[in-house]
Amino acid sequence: MSATLRQFRRKADKAITDERLQNAIENAAERFVEGRITALSSVPDVGEMRDHFKEIRDATISDLATHLITFEKNAQEAGAKVHWARNGKEAVQIIADLAKRHGVELVVKSKSMATEEIQLNSALIQQGITPVETDLGEWIIQLAGEPPSHIIAPAIHKTKEQVADLFQEHSGEEIPADISALTAEARRVLREKFLSAGMGISGANIGVAETGSAVIVTNEGNGRMVTSLPPIHVVVMGIEKVAPTWDEVAVWLSLLARSATGQPLSIYTNVITGPAHPEDVDGPDEVHIILLDNNRSRFLGTKYQEVLQCVRCGACLNICPVYRKAGGHAYGSPYSGPIGAVINPLLFGLEKYNGLPQASSLCGACLEVCPARIDLPRMLLALREDEVNRRILPWRDRVMERLAASVLLHPWLFDCLVRLVGKMRLTKVIQPFIKVKMPPLAGRSYRQLWRRGGGE
Amino acid sequence: MINARKEILKQLSSKSRKTKRPSPWRSRHESENLQKRFSLALENVKGEIYLASDLEEVLSILGDVLLELNAKKIVVSDEKPFRDIDFSARFPEVEWHVVGKSNGNLRDFCNSADVGITSADVALAETGSVVVSSGPGRSRAASLLSPVHIVILPNSKLLPDIFTWTANRGDDIPSQVVIISGPSKTADIEQTLVVGVHGPKRFIVILYSD
Repeated sequence: MSATLRQFRRKADKAITDERLQNAIENAAERFVEGRITALSSVPDVGEMRDHFKEIRDATISDLATHLITFEKNAQEAGAKVHWARNGKEAVQIIADLAKRHGVELVVKSKSMATEEIQLNSALIQQGITPVETDLGEWIIQLAGEPPSHIIAPAIHKTKEQVADLFQEHSGEEIPADISALTAEARRVLREKFLSAGMGISGANIGVAETGSAVIVTNEGNGRMVTSLPPIHVVVMGIEKVAPTWDEVAVWLSLLARSATGQPLSIYTNVITGPAHPEDVDGPDEVHIILLDNNRSRFLGTKYQEVLQCVRCGACLNICPVYRKAGGHAYGSPYSGPIGAVINPLLFGLEKYNGLPQASSLCGACLEVCPARIDLPRMLLALREDEVNRRILPWRDRVMERLAASVLLHPWLFDCLVRLVGKMRLTKVIQPFIKVKMPPLAGRSYRQLWRRGGGE
Repeated sequence: MINARKEILKQLSSKSRKTKRPSPWRSRHESENLQKRFSLALENVKGEIYLASDLEEVLSILGDVLLELNAKKIVVSDEKPFRDIDFSARFPEVEWHVVGKSNGNLRDFCNSADVGITSADVALAETGSVVVSSGPGRSRAASLLSPVHIVILPNSKLLPDIFTWTANRGDDIPSQVVIISGPSKTADIEQTLVVGVHGPKRFIVILYSD
C-alpha cells in the first residue's frame, strides 16, 4: 500500500467523479460533524476539558516508558501475558504462534485500527488461520476484500444493494437489500462464529496503567463477544494508547465517543483486566496483550511527537474538505483524512506516501475539531519541508514548486504573469488540459483593485 | 521477544521527559435530580426505564414486561437484590436459569434465552449508563447473548457521571467491567441506525427506591 502524488491524484480523481460515493461521504461526514457539535455542547466547560485532555496526552506521551512499564506490571499481576512487538511482523508471529500452540483455526475480531495497520488478516490467512471481522462495517469490507474507507465507519462507501450482493455471495441464500434484514443476517452468521472461535482478537482504545486494563469501546456488542466467549483473548494495542490512571480514562471517554459518533458514550465500554478469575462463571482462560511499536517510538522527542496523542476518533476526517472529496481509499492505508496524511508517511515511509502531505488545503479545520488539539496543519507543513529537504518529490513536481516559489517571492513577476494570462486569454488555452472549468480572468486583478483602494 | 521489549523501552527512555500530570478533572455537574436525569439520558439512547417504589413493585412491573415479551426462558444472575426472590415460584411458566446454581450449560442457555436479568454496580445519570461487572454469580453471557437485557437496581446506586464513578472506584477490579449505555446499535450500512446487532435489542432498566 502507498499513496504517492500520482496515486493519490488518480484515486481522488476517480472518487470525485463517482457521484454516489460523493453523496455517501458527504452525508456521513455531515452527520458526524453535526453529531459531534451537539454532543460536545452538553459538556460543561468543554473547551477547558479539551485543553486538559491535551495536557494529559502530552504528559503521558512524554513519559511513555514509565507508564508502559507500570501497565505491563499491573496487567501481569492481573494474570495477562504481555508481549512487545517492534513491528507488524513480530506482532503477527506472536498471534500465529499462540493460535498454533492452542490449535486455533477460527479467530473472531472486533474492529481494530492497529490490526488493520499491520495487515493481520492476510498474514493469518497465509498461516492457515481464518480471521473473521465481526463489526458489521468491517465484515462487509472483509467480504469485499477492501480496506476501510473511514476510521470509524469502514464501509460508508457501500450501498445496501452492494452489501446484499456480498452477503448473498457469502451465504448462497437470497437476502433482500433491506438494512434491518442485512443486520439480522450478520447477527445470525456471526453469532455462530463467536460461539465456535478459538481466539478473539481486539484492539484497545485505552490501556490503563494503574490497573493493567484494556478498554475496548463498541456499539454493536461484538467487542464484548470477542473478549468474553473464546477461551483466548488477544489485545493488539499501539504503545501510545496508555492512560496513567482512571482519572485520565474518564476524560478520554468523555471526549472519544462525542468526537467520533456524537454519542455521550459508546453503547459498550468494555474493561478487560486479565483473564477470568477462578470464581468467575465465564470469560477467557488467557488474555494476551501485544504492545505494538511499529515506528511509533521513533517520533518521541521529534517535531512529530504530538501525533502520538491521537485517539483515532475520526473527527478530523469528517471536517476535512480534502477527505470529503477524495474519499478514504485515496490515502492508500487504513488511516485516512488529515491524521492519515500525517501518520502514514511517518509509520510507513515518506517516499511511499509523498502525496499525502500535499493532500491538504491547510485550512486548519482538523486542528479545530481534534479532542486532543493536535496541530496537524503544522505537521503537514513539516512533512512538506522534509519532502523538499530530502528531495523526495518527482523532478517535475520539484521544478514546478521551484518556479511557483520564484513567482510568489517576486510580486512584480506575479503581477506581470497575471496580466499576461488575462490579456492573452490563456485560461482558454489551458482549459482542455484540466478537469475543472476555468472562468476567464477578471479585467482587473485583486491587487490592482486593492492599490486603488476600492474593493467593492 | 525480550529484545523487542528492551529495544522499545530503550528508544522511549532516551527521549523521555518527566512531566507533571495535570490534577484530575472532577465532575462539574451540579447536584440535580439524578433519577430524572438518568431516565432522560437512557431514553435518548433508546433504552427503556421503569420506576418502582419497592422491590415488590419491581416484580409486578417485571411480570408485565415478561408478559409483553412473551418470555419463556430467562437467565438471572445470582446477586444481591435477587437473593431473596424465588423467581420460579413467582413466574412458574418461565424456565429459569440462576447463574452458578442451576444445572445445565450456562452459555447454551444464555444463547437461547429470551431475557437476561442482572443488577449493576452503579448507574451513571449523565449518560444513562449502568456498570455491570463479572464475578461470582454473574455471567458475562447473561447480559449479552439474549435479545433483551433487564437491569434491576436501587436508586442509591445512581451516580452523577463517569467522573464520580472513576473517583470512587474501589481497589479491586473484576476481570470484566462493562459500562452499558443502551441497546446494541449499528449505523454501518448507509448510516442508517439499526438497534440490535450482536448484543441485546432491548435494554430495560427498572429503578426502585430503597
